[in-house]
Amino acid sequence: MNEFLAKVARILEVGEVKETDDLKAFPQWDSLTVLSVIAMLDADYGINLRAADFQQISTADDLWKLVQAKKAA
Amino acid sequence: MNFTFHRKRISGISAVVPARERSFVEEMRNFNFPEARSLKLKEVMGYDKRRIVEPHVCVSDLAVFGVQSLFDRGLLARDEVDALLLVTQSPDYFMPPTSNIIQGRLGLNQDTVCLDVNQACAGFVIGLIQAFMLLDQESIKKVVLINGDVLSRKTSAKDRNIYPLIGDAASITIVERDARNLPIHASLKMDGTRSETLMIPAGGMRMPSTPETAVLQNVGDNNLRAKDHLLMDGTAIFNFVQLEVPPLIEGLLARAGVPIGSVDYFLCHQPNRFMLQKLADKMKVPYAKMPNNVVEKFGNSGSTTIPLAITLNLADKLTGNSELQTCMAGFGGGLVWAAMLMRLGGLAFCEIIDYP
Repeated sequence: MNEFLAKVARILEVGEVKETDDLKAFPQWDSLTVLSVIAMLDADYGINLRAADFQQISTADDLWKLVQAKKAA
Repeated sequence: MNFTFHRKRISGISAVVPARERSFVEEMRNFNFPEARSLKLKEVMGYDKRRIVEPHVCVSDLAVFGVQSLFDRGLLARDEVDALLLVTQSPDYFMPPTSNIIQGRLGLNQDTVCLDVNQACAGFVIGLIQAFMLLDQESIKKVVLINGDVLSRKTSAKDRNIYPLIGDAASITIVERDARNLPIHASLKMDGTRSETLMIPAGGMRMPSTPETAVLQNVGDNNLRAKDHLLMDGTAIFNFVQLEVPPLIEGLLARAGVPIGSVDYFLCHQPNRFMLQKLADKMKVPYAKMPNNVVEKFGNSGSTTIPLAITLNLADKLTGNSELQTCMAGFGGGLVWAAMLMRLGGLAFCEIIDYP
């Protein structure tokens, strides 16, 4: 989880992202960031998310749970 | 669908790019978007310069200019053009075929087979497949394959999903018989259920252009686009390429019995640098073997990007003595993804020229 948060923080170009942070509240959260997150999840976790999948999440923890659910599926 | 061809070769490639250059930094002020984020987009995607036509220039103008230049320099003779194939998504008219217009303007004889092929970013591989099939006819000795698009004319300047990456270009590829019997393998996949991922909704018979289809609408993220404009679902295309292209290429290599390490260059369609680097990562191919520098210099010109990747990066090698094992791969609108394993070398010309 910590490693995951660090990867998301790197994409958002911030020092830290906490589990409870609302990802969409970051000013850098745009389609380019979504694409970068999708690419990171594909390369590092072997899962493919669609842009639409991001509509149902808000916090970093939500995204992590979605990653876990996709990995289990 | 899998294909195998024998005794066919490419003998020359000439790419034509409009002289008119645009720069991302100047154009990003059109977007309703913070400049810092636009610069981030530039850095990640590799956007910089691109070439686009003046608003009145058509694909036949680029094509006629390029072929005429070959005639003028004695690199191709009028009477050796047995077939003229044009792959484009932006024809001059609904009818007649633009290949016929090009034939007429070039003064080619009435025995010339002219065919328009309506294909997008996989159109170079598809054009080669079609050219090879024509060459199976005894009477057809030389095919002039033209790829070209002027899709900048169908993009919205206020849509940063598509506007900063589109370029215009044409290419002329001479395809003929090879005395040597080297196999060429190709694989092709199509999925029309995902056709709305990349499309121009209005302007055809389903939704004719009207004043309403020209109205700009906010399509999210402050991007403005009309129904008359080219739309691309960028993340869906990214997923499509990452999921479908590596297995296509791996299957092709396996069928041909060629290990991935024996391929000198992967010459892929050039959507942007980011997507090509991620594709190379996924396939564990070094970046040096998969050129990704076409978009930053010329923009993404659809089916012409593979010829541009070749002429931009490999001209010295291919006009010299070396012969390269290449794997070409195109992917995009349709959706279509196609790959071809082919040796390239001994080209009579391999160049990029400016229009006009």
